[in-house]
Amino acid sequence: MPWRMIATVIIATAIVACASETDARGARSTATSAASAATADSTLHVTDDNGHVVTLPGPAHRVISLIPSATESIIALGASDRIVGRTRYDVAPQVASLPNVGGGIDPSVEAIVALHPDLVIAWNTDKRQIARAKLVALGVPVFTMRTEDTTDVFRGIANLGKLLGRDTSARRVVASIHRDLDEVRRSVAGQPTPSVFYVVYNDPPMTAGSKTFIGQLLGIAGGRSIFADLDALWPQVPLEEIIRRDPDLLVVPIGEFKTNSLEHLRARSGWRDLRAVREGHVVTVPSDLLSRPGANIGEAARALRTAMHPTLAAGVTR
Amino acid sequence: MTGARLAWPVGVRLAVLGALAVLAILAGIRLGVVSLTTRALFDAIAGRGDPTTVTIIRQLRAPRALQAALVGAALAVSGATFQALLRNPLAEPYILGVSSGAAAGAVLAVVTGWAVRFVWALPLAAFAGAVLSMLVVFRIAFSVGRALDTRVLLLAGVVMSSFLVALIWLVLNFADTESVRSAIFWMMGSHAGASWRSVGILVACFVPAMAVLFSLARALNLLAIGEATAAYLGASVERTKLLAFATATLLTAASVSVSGTIGFVGLVVPHAVRLLWGSDNRALLPCAALAGAAFLVGADTLARTLAGANELPIGIVTALVGVPCFVRLLRQPRAV
Repeated sequence: MPWRMIATVIIATAIVACASETDARGARSTATSAASAATADSTLHVTDDNGHVVTLPGPAHRVISLIPSATESIIALGASDRIVGRTRYDVAPQVASLPNVGGGIDPSVEAIVALHPDLVIAWNTDKRQIARAKLVALGVPVFTMRTEDTTDVFRGIANLGKLLGRDTSARRVVASIHRDLDEVRRSVAGQPTPSVFYVVYNDPPMTAGSKTFIGQLLGIAGGRSIFADLDALWPQVPLEEIIRRDPDLLVVPIGEFKTNSLEHLRARSGWRDLRAVREGHVVTVPSDLLSRPGANIGEAARALRTAMHPTLAAGVTR
Repeated sequence: MTGARLAWPVGVRLAVLGALAVLAILAGIRLGVVSLTTRALFDAIAGRGDPTTVTIIRQLRAPRALQAALVGAALAVSGATFQALLRNPLAEPYILGVSSGAAAGAVLAVVTGWAVRFVWALPLAAFAGAVLSMLVVFRIAFSVGRALDTRVLLLAGVVMSSFLVALIWLVLNFADTESVRSAIFWMMGSHAGASWRSVGILVACFVPAMAVLFSLARALNLLAIGEATAAYLGASVERTKLLAFATATLLTAASVSVSGTIGFVGLVVPHAVRLLWGSDNRALLPCAALAGAAFLVGADTLARTLAGANELPIGIVTALVGVPCFVRLLRQPRAV
């Protein structure tokens, strides 16, 4: 039992951002860099997703993002030259050759400090905040971000724009994502809406709740999650309940977990008895596109549409 | 007091192990993801040179190495004490449910979000959980029979531990993914959170606790023969047991609350020292302290350098490195 649970946790966290309510608190100013030679007008005050006001003497020029989706957003803002380190989970070619600082929750603080960052982006959902506390104590500004739903993506990009002095790019990126999502939404209008089970993981079965970006993108791309009524962000659901709710379509992210392969699902009792599996209505989406809620969610929505409405996608150009 | 392999005088053992511990601490400060020259190291210790290097040495590596040393020493001494008291080679610092009590406290702090709001909430909750579970275990043991029966104590500890672990998984079953992950990270143990303040607190607990345990060493020797014999030989059995159990447990609780549960050290380091030099607790306890310190600092240094910036959980290193060493020691023929 504990091992299954541990597996679930590792999986769930590896897949996506984290789950939990924001611990909003009174604003407490984070340490600014000691040499505040900058003039008052270039000083930046940005409130992070934990309610801390992070103060920078000016736009950040040496950034380390511990959140891969935020790293991608920084790249989308055209600021990849400001990134000076990466976590072991970052895959973008722009940062692949940068020094590795370790994991996102348990980075090597000395590796971070040695890179002289003037801003570190960290998970707001880390329940222990060991790395954040250490960095703040050492005078490194830390900006924490929530990365669960699409509003987090838009707010995150806007905040990164402020912190990097790239407000105009941020507005452009946000507008372009909105355009992409609108295009997807329009293209599926009037189409039949399949009921979908999105297989975040198969043993134990876990899906994306309606308050996650995946749940929201499923709706935009013309699908309806059979577990849209559940409140949890990443609910674990019993297999028999999936069978009872009888989805038209199984959407399987491929690439991250070997056991999420189609052969695996087709071979397992319970799964292979689902109508969707028997009738071959199992579609795949690239998991790396659907595991990082950043500037690429427009593309993720298109991937979901292609998977759920193949005939439609073939005729649509973007 | 048989089984000793090396007939070194106690002073020599202590000097050698002490030197080993100091070397391990120096190596722990010298080695890390960011490579330094020895010259830069000494400059940084003196507070000169590149300010980043000074920060890495003084604020990150030094407190971390010292915390690992203190925790290693505490667990080894506590383990040796439990082994003597319970006359059981499988005894270790966590056997009376201290680690599960601490874990229950830590999980509570994580799930309620206190751990995020107050830096000290998690260690305090872990310490409180450990002490509370210890008190319950003793309450159970004292309610059976007139004197403290160590067999009952052992059983009470084991069942208390099972109960708390079940409680932890029950809570985590309903907690969000992120809390579960944070709780598991804590349970795996790490010195990443070390600071000068945590070192200071450990020293404050450590010095009096060691003094008490070292002063009980002779009585522990007598107890190891048997409680009745010890009583004939003039040991105040009940007082010794209670004091030793409570002190060793508090020592473990303080360690666990700053570093999470780190296994293996408390079980195997005392055995290793016993295999080398025999089981006279007057020498065993201080030797185990120094050996535990050296071992855990070494393990922590490996954990944070073997895979570069991708830090390994320290429990992996203590077991993977410690077990082969211990088996080798175990297989060698005894001299005496």
